Amino acid sequence: MKITRRIATTVIASAALLAGGFMMLPTQDATAAEQVDGKLYMVIAGRQPVSHLDPALKYDLAVRMMQQQLYDALVKYEGNPSEIKPWLAESWSTSDDGLTWTFNLAKNAKFHDGSPVTAEAVVYSFKRTMEINEGPAWMLEGFVEADGIKAVDAHTVSFTLNKPYAAFLSFLPWWYVVNPAVVEANIKDGDFGQGFLQENAAGSGPYKLQRFEQGTAYVLERNDDYWKGFPYENDRMGGVIYRLVRESAAQRAALLKGEADLVTGLSPEERQAVNSNKDISTTSLPALTSFGLKMNTTQGVTADLNIRKALAYAYDYESFIKIMNGEAKLQTSPFTDAVQGMVPIADMPRRDIAKAKEYLAKSAHPDGGFEVEYVYVEGFEIERQMGLAMIDAYKDINVTVKMVPLTWPNMVARGAKPETSPDLMAIFATPVSTDPDAIAIQYHPSSAGKYYGSHFLNDPDLNALIEKARAETVWDKRAPIYAEIQQKIVDLQPEIFGMMRNRGVALRNWVKGYQDSPIRMGGEIDFYSVHLDPN
Amino acid sequence: MGQLIVRRLIFMIFMLIGLMAIVFAISNIAPGDPARLAAGPDATNEMVERLRVERGLDKPIVTRFAVYLSNLAAGDLGTSLHTRRAVVDDLARYFPATLELVLFSIAFAVLLGVPLGMAGAAFQNKIPDHSIRFLAVSGVALPMFWLGLMLQWYLSLELDLFPLGGRLGIMTPRPETVTGMLTVDSLLSGNFGTFQEAVWHLVLPSLALSLPALASIIRVNRAEMLETLNKDYILNARAQGIGPLRIVTAYALKNAILPTLAMIGLRFGWMLGGTVLVEGVFDYPGVGLYATKAAVSSDFDPIIAVTLVLGASFMLVNLLIDLTYALLDPRVRSQI
Repeated sequence: MKITRRIATTVIASAALLAGGFMMLPTQDATAAEQVDGKLYMVIAGRQPVSHLDPALKYDLAVRMMQQQLYDALVKYEGNPSEIKPWLAESWSTSDDGLTWTFNLAKNAKFHDGSPVTAEAVVYSFKRTMEINEGPAWMLEGFVEADGIKAVDAHTVSFTLNKPYAAFLSFLPWWYVVNPAVVEANIKDGDFGQGFLQENAAGSGPYKLQRFEQGTAYVLERNDDYWKGFPYENDRMGGVIYRLVRESAAQRAALLKGEADLVTGLSPEERQAVNSNKDISTTSLPALTSFGLKMNTTQGVTADLNIRKALAYAYDYESFIKIMNGEAKLQTSPFTDAVQGMVPIADMPRRDIAKAKEYLAKSAHPDGGFEVEYVYVEGFEIERQMGLAMIDAYKDINVTVKMVPLTWPNMVARGAKPETSPDLMAIFATPVSTDPDAIAIQYHPSSAGKYYGSHFLNDPDLNALIEKARAETVWDKRAPIYAEIQQKIVDLQPEIFGMMRNRGVALRNWVKGYQDSPIRMGGEIDFYSVHLDPN
Repeated sequence: MGQLIVRRLIFMIFMLIGLMAIVFAISNIAPGDPARLAAGPDATNEMVERLRVERGLDKPIVTRFAVYLSNLAAGDLGTSLHTRRAVVDDLARYFPATLELVLFSIAFAVLLGVPLGMAGAAFQNKIPDHSIRFLAVSGVALPMFWLGLMLQWYLSLELDLFPLGGRLGIMTPRPETVTGMLTVDSLLSGNFGTFQEAVWHLVLPSLALSLPALASIIRVNRAEMLETLNKDYILNARAQGIGPLRIVTAYALKNAILPTLAMIGLRFGWMLGGTVLVEGVFDYPGVGLYATKAAVSSDFDPIIAVTLVLGASFMLVNLLIDLTYALLDPRVRSQI
């Protein structure tokens, strides 16, 4: 049809013109950091949205990361190994019976609105969190009541505990202090200011909230008047943008293109891939996080200690390291290396088929011939590979493995009840404290129902040891109890103790002062010391 | 006509209730413990139970559905368990973004699809036709997710023509919210620079999202054009000396419009579904990402609300298309 060709050609030409029109639009400015009035804003590209900012509600890595910049707590975790540093509290003392803790506040501390951080504000913030009874409230539950927290004078706060609690101090970094005047002014229908604090901040931290654009980016402006100052001198540092980039391919592209200065959540391979660029470097640090295959100690085949031991001795531990590309280290105790009081356990199970068969012979299934269910996070490649390694390893003891990928919510739900908790479940657990109690308590019945308590271990001797250790306040007396606890947990084998994986970030070389600390979750950055130096 | 609209709208309400019932049932039957997830990883069992009671999650599913419907009648879409925000506010933020993306994609599909379809017909079985058909087949076959990544890699990272994702540069001041669609709002506030930037951010995601629709529109237009051009009345028109431009626009194109419209109605729904993938790749903060986040955390209220809004908009668009049909085609009009 010749007649229409001319028209078709015309139309195509106009389509081309239209496309050409698009090209006339301005191209992207390829400078690396965002700049505002000559100030540099560092861009962090991460995957997890910040669901809210309220220090009294549920925390996760993104929530905690933001709160750490906007708020201050009495003390703060810093460095590697993670240490508790004085922050709002310059110093503190404990009474001889371990029941009364007195904190002396820094007198120059002030909120973003210029008002001083007083003892009253500290008391108000603790009481608010306890009253709302969510988020960090569990940490002090049963040990401190709201009435036990008092402002002695404008700069002194005292806590009276119901019973001695060795881990008390190690939880305080997560109790952020809010500005009571700002919160009170924004209370609606007795909500403790929850509505306001969702997307607003009332803190004293090194950064101020500039914009909270849910699902896109969170912009923090450096608080140039921060009462504690900054550990670097760089007046050009203007702020930090936490930008959501959800796909790892897009994250890497953003880093290479200079749209992001620091990227979190990349796998070891992905980090190695970007590291070949001369402008980019990567970090790698073993975390406080443990990884284990939790076994249900109350139901099914794994209720039998002999079967649990057999499964532990038959597992191929080297596969952990292989799967992690060498970026991991095997656990030699239920406690990871960064936990205070960790001691390596001599008879930690390693692959030993003879021993596995020995234990199997003592069980109701002397020749194997049963199936174990292995539950892991759907789409989580390394956990899937561990399942495949398990299938191979357990062939040697005539045990078959049923691999069941589930979404995280479904895993949490299954692990919450002894009847539904699977034989084996892959769990990464990051404690919120470096105190050994934070790990030991995971093997106490009070953890039953939580994702790391899906083993439902309940051993009276172990329980007594854990309770005794947390009530003792002198470290020299606690340490031997924890050595005993670690041995006891390994003897009971409620899980196949796995590995400590390295985690890290990829960053452009002009990012200075970046520090990782094992207590922080993977992808949780502390902005305090980080700054951009283009020279 | 008026009667038809009323009838369809009433029917729509029942359809939506049915749709919600199904989604409500599915999301409740699926295993999962929303209260425990919302309370946080270390929450004590008492804290979890308190939250469960507070949010009515301990009640039987039928009661909860009834409560949900009565709240809905009062205009309350509930609150998210995770962000504690009212779902209405979230949707007001995310839905316009998705709508903007889908409208842009449809515009892409139509503006490129109609001329390409015509060109295919004009060069039937010649090289241009083959290439266009190749494009059409790939459009249906290529996964959007992969296509999005490829566009991102080539056009953004390699050629640096487009931004990697988002709706606007992070530090670009946002126009005052009127419709929630950045292109419209920036024009309303007279800020042409922001408008350009918003369009710039829309190009890659809408290209990825529009390809399947583009492919169908090409095919429909090509087929329709071929058929029409061989009709006797076209021969007659040519014999009467009517110019080719007029023949194509006044006769042939008019016939292709109806099936194209039908295709848009159908593809609109597909695109709303496709936003889940495309928004993820381009970090485009819309309903798709919001729904994914809600679904993986068993956050019921947002899940149901998204279903409701997407379902309603799909039905509304199809109603509009049916009405346009009636306006354009007297044969359809007489049947109403």
